[in-house]
Amino acid sequence: MRSNDSDLRRLDSASEAFLGGDQPFESPAKEFVPGPYFMGVEEVMPELGDDEDSDEASVSKEKSKLSVDRRDFMRLFSAGAMLASASACVRRPVEWAVPYVDQPMDQTIGVPVYYATTVDGTGVMVKTREGRPVFVEGSGSHPLSQGSASQLAMSELQALYHPDRRKAPQIRYGTNRVSDVSWDDVYVRLGERLGTAKKIGILAKHTSGNSRKFYKKFLKEFGQSEDQLYLYDSNALRVNAAAAHRLAFGIDGYARTNFRLAELLVGIGSDFLDVGTSKVFESKNFSRNMSYKFQRKGEFVQFESRTTMTGGKSTTRHPISTGDELAVTLLLVEALLENSAAKGTAAEKENIRKVLSSARTVMDEARSRLGFGETVFKELAKNLLTKKSVVMVGESSANSANGTLLQLAGIMANLLAGSYEDKTLDLDRAWMVASSGDNDMARFLRDAKSMDLLIVVDVNPAFTLPASTGIRETLQNIPSIVSVQSMPCETDEYAEFVLNGHNILEKWGDEEPVAGVYSLVQPTVRPFTDSMQAEDILMWASAHAGKPLGYQDYRSYLMDQWKELHTASELKVDFKTFFDAHLRKGWFSRIGQRDLPELADVSEKFNPAIPKKGLKFVAYLDPRLYDGVGADRPVLQECADAMTTVCWDTWVGLAPQKCKDLGLKYNDLVALKGPSGTIEVSVYPLPGLHADTVVVPRGNGHADGVSRVSTGVGVDPLTILEAEYDSISGIPVTSGQTVEITATGRRYRLAAQQKHNDMANRKDILKTVSLATASANDLAKKEFDLDDVPDLYPKLKEHPHYRWGMSIDLEKCNGCGACTVACDLENNVPQVGREQILLGREMHWVRVDRYFSGSVENPTVSFQPVSCQHCNHAPCEAVCPVYATTHDEEGMNNQTYNRCVGTRYCANACPYKVRRFNWFTHKWNVMGDRPIDRNPRALNPEVTVRTRGIMEKCTYCVQRIRDAKHNAAAKGRIVADGEISVACESACDTDAIVFGNLKDKNSRVAVARKNMRSYLMLGADPHHKHYGLKTLPNTSYMAKVDLHGAKDKSHDEH
Amino acid sequence: MASFSISDRRFFRLFCISLFFLTITGCRGNQLWTNWWTPGDTVDNVGYHPDQPIEYSHKLHAGEKQIPCQYCHSSARRSAHAGIPSLNTCMGCHTYVATDKEPIKYITEKYNSNEPVRWVKVHDMPDFVRFSHKPHVLSKTLQENYAEEYAQHDNQSCFLCHGDMKENTTAKQEKSMQMGWCIDCHVTNEAPISCETCHY
Repeated sequence: MRSNDSDLRRLDSASEAFLGGDQPFESPAKEFVPGPYFMGVEEVMPELGDDEDSDEASVSKEKSKLSVDRRDFMRLFSAGAMLASASACVRRPVEWAVPYVDQPMDQTIGVPVYYATTVDGTGVMVKTREGRPVFVEGSGSHPLSQGSASQLAMSELQALYHPDRRKAPQIRYGTNRVSDVSWDDVYVRLGERLGTAKKIGILAKHTSGNSRKFYKKFLKEFGQSEDQLYLYDSNALRVNAAAAHRLAFGIDGYARTNFRLAELLVGIGSDFLDVGTSKVFESKNFSRNMSYKFQRKGEFVQFESRTTMTGGKSTTRHPISTGDELAVTLLLVEALLENSAAKGTAAEKENIRKVLSSARTVMDEARSRLGFGETVFKELAKNLLTKKSVVMVGESSANSANGTLLQLAGIMANLLAGSYEDKTLDLDRAWMVASSGDNDMARFLRDAKSMDLLIVVDVNPAFTLPASTGIRETLQNIPSIVSVQSMPCETDEYAEFVLNGHNILEKWGDEEPVAGVYSLVQPTVRPFTDSMQAEDILMWASAHAGKPLGYQDYRSYLMDQWKELHTASELKVDFKTFFDAHLRKGWFSRIGQRDLPELADVSEKFNPAIPKKGLKFVAYLDPRLYDGVGADRPVLQECADAMTTVCWDTWVGLAPQKCKDLGLKYNDLVALKGPSGTIEVSVYPLPGLHADTVVVPRGNGHADGVSRVSTGVGVDPLTILEAEYDSISGIPVTSGQTVEITATGRRYRLAAQQKHNDMANRKDILKTVSLATASANDLAKKEFDLDDVPDLYPKLKEHPHYRWGMSIDLEKCNGCGACTVACDLENNVPQVGREQILLGREMHWVRVDRYFSGSVENPTVSFQPVSCQHCNHAPCEAVCPVYATTHDEEGMNNQTYNRCVGTRYCANACPYKVRRFNWFTHKWNVMGDRPIDRNPRALNPEVTVRTRGIMEKCTYCVQRIRDAKHNAAAKGRIVADGEISVACESACDTDAIVFGNLKDKNSRVAVARKNMRSYLMLGADPHHKHYGLKTLPNTSYMAKVDLHGAKDKSHDEH
Repeated sequence: MASFSISDRRFFRLFCISLFFLTITGCRGNQLWTNWWTPGDTVDNVGYHPDQPIEYSHKLHAGEKQIPCQYCHSSARRSAHAGIPSLNTCMGCHTYVATDKEPIKYITEKYNSNEPVRWVKVHDMPDFVRFSHKPHVLSKTLQENYAEEYAQHDNQSCFLCHGDMKENTTAKQEKSMQMGWCIDCHVTNEAPISCETCHY
């Protein structure tokens, strides 16, 4: 796409100057001394490093030469001249002040209004200003979010204001003539179709709420079977675990891990911190209960083939081959059975023995492959039985052929380990499953062939199901498809009715994510485009077909359903009070009790597939983009992937040793040949992967033109998979098929952000202490004053009440990047696109650095979020020639945009590399070669939008501090602890980030700063009177605690 | 003149430049430096008094009728913005009061057709300045430091920046509202003067 934006021209010429061979951030430091930590594998295996000028760079050079021709130059020049002459005689335009005609009672201009709603299965509070949502944050009272929101939920803002949303409903007449129509046309025509259709199906996004009931009612009205509602879920764990629980116990939903009681977790291919059932809830509870606290740290043993964030938080990690998860679980079950202390009734044990005997081949085969012996399982079984423990099995992001069997094996392991008995697995508050019955996907693929009319609501089967399942042909053959989508997607191509549905922030609805917890979805804004809610469309269309459903709109239907809940709740208030109160709160709970039924005999169904030989391919859900719903949101595309730090691309992760064997290097473009196709992707050598595992994230590779953001980004790994289904739950298999890798000889640079803000391998960046040291210090109640540093500077002027500070607990951080997303959205940080990121110009105010340590085969992973440290002796302040960056008496390092002239001295001076320079005015969000209008309505009105030539950085969310201070001052008090929640802190799933007032001795942040684990980045070792740079940051870090580490380690042990 | 040492060429250049500036100055008078940065005619925009859709009289409402400022500008104590009252605030009285007057007919018509009145913004801060009415309106320090003046102005702080609106018809910029002016007051009253007080 060509653009007239002059910035874009400069971008091209700039890339010419910068894409030389001597890039400061891509090549590793020349005199590198291998330390305990490494950022990229090329530091320890230089032969894998990409130190060459890649082909792709030269391509972009050619392109830039072509793209500025003489005519364009003249055009731009004359436009510039006109503008210059115009500005000389025009006065600044008069601005208008336009008040409301009728001001709503609850609106005060400039004061945000919050709405409680449910996005992505967790309760959120949507902050709106003058009727427009500006920020999504977790609802503090909601039992599932506990104050945090997932990246997908936060980025709903970008989906809501997306410039590519359809503005009107469309109907496809004939083969390819699509016209914008009015809603009346849609209802009439759809009414006709409904009247004549013999078989109607509804394929909807997974939901556990009342819309399920509504769809069934709709189907019944038209004489259809209720089984023709199919709920689609990309999350393999949710589907498989539900199928397994139905089979084993005959119950709905599946048990929820109660981290509060667990002392030992065993994960077998689990990824609950990546995607999980509900990432926010599980991360929160994992970090609150399993990370170091009061001299104890929970043990987490993980067996996995991929390198996941979950594996990164484990205390012991065993790499296993992809597909061996089932065998490992069964070996553990066997070890548990052999232990005399095993729980469970004799009949159950007999059932389990039967299962083991039917899976003997799989176990025996895997046993020979595993790199560890029987003792590991014996030891683990002993620990499982002595400690309160849970075995968490199975991936949510990928499905192997034995997915449901793996869940069944997990149930057996937990039964024997007594997890249900100990309540470490909670059935009363079980995860509710979002399916309408058994085998939704298998049923859909079978039934769709004979369907006349298919209604697709907010799912995109044409993209999220592998092409080899024949989904596209199936859709093609259905005479009429109604596609109700909040964003354009691939499925629209097959639809007769292409309807613009509501975004989740405009909808009514409800969810029951956990048994007995009802969570409401309410609109937070009047619909932006002429969109409608799917349920309402169906209601109107059925009225046109002569079969009215008896409700005015979906809201009244929903209220009717809640009336039942109100009656059942036996609360002594009338319904209106009940509903309004819960609308304000966002959720309602009525927890029942469930007893665990006895384990059924499942050995007949237990026919595990034998894992394939060779390189095994895993196409997993990207934790940011999920199955592709996030791909059209720039903020998610630009957020660095946790393990690889790559953004705006698809990569193939290979074990470093495997790369070496195959003669591949970082950024080499390879052809991945799967059973039904080939894709070309760049190599990322990823430490920790099992040698036989090849991983490619899903989510990218959308069809051209679906959205301007996702067009041309990455490839879709599902295209190379052959049709294979889980034997019980029937969902397509995305892991464990074999691939071949051949080098293409070409290179394609991945936009990895890791090395861009390299602190040049300085010492004292990351620290780890052993559990023994940490416990001893805490037991002795030792404290240390990090600010007690001898220095010759005059004393700082201090505010009597406030000194703002932040503490980041590396023990808790799991690297998910939610802080980056929240910060981007709160502070109007622009997204710059792949080309700019390749030049090292990403604008994130907070980045998450990822370090490996230990062996390349099985490294320990550490994450470190780095934002402006707000140094008391800031190097940046001393060098600014115009006093644009100054120190505040409240301890903050101020950046005054209107003073900044863009010398960039400060960025050079900053040892933490946290300052970001605006190379362009990102007002029109130039993302690579595709300009996307940045909807001004989506901007946070509290934060200035920066222009070109200005330096910016973390401000500690000063707008929130000001707000809290003004509120407190109005009441004549000072700001209390916890009153200010900065964006990254509020988004942090793990409570790793704490912000507050250091002058308040009892504030959370002051207490954390005094802890012996706390240290200042680049502050050397103050305990032994080495003070490092003496920058005296107000942000402190808390060292990771190593459960097994005998010795404390840090960067300075080189 | 022996001391005159500028070469001809340099002199010519200087002459051209001064001629250029003189021409512009001649055209635009004293507006030369104010033409872009301020909508008013003065450097600091003091005295800016644009025409408004109707000749609303603060003198009548606040002066004669003694209606407190925050009766209409009610968000001043709650929010960053003082807010111009919405039409329903006006119509609260003017459904019954002075309905025969031209301006009232105008707002009634606007109200009935559900159209907002487009007022011209008078006190217009640059986008990189964050001013909040709330702490200024609620400030105890100001009340103590200016006790006498407060007493003359219904114990409200508005007059400090907006002058005596009881004397004006439509809004007029009374004070400079440049940074120096802000800082002066902040220093006198010991309010914070760090950059991030207003710029973020």
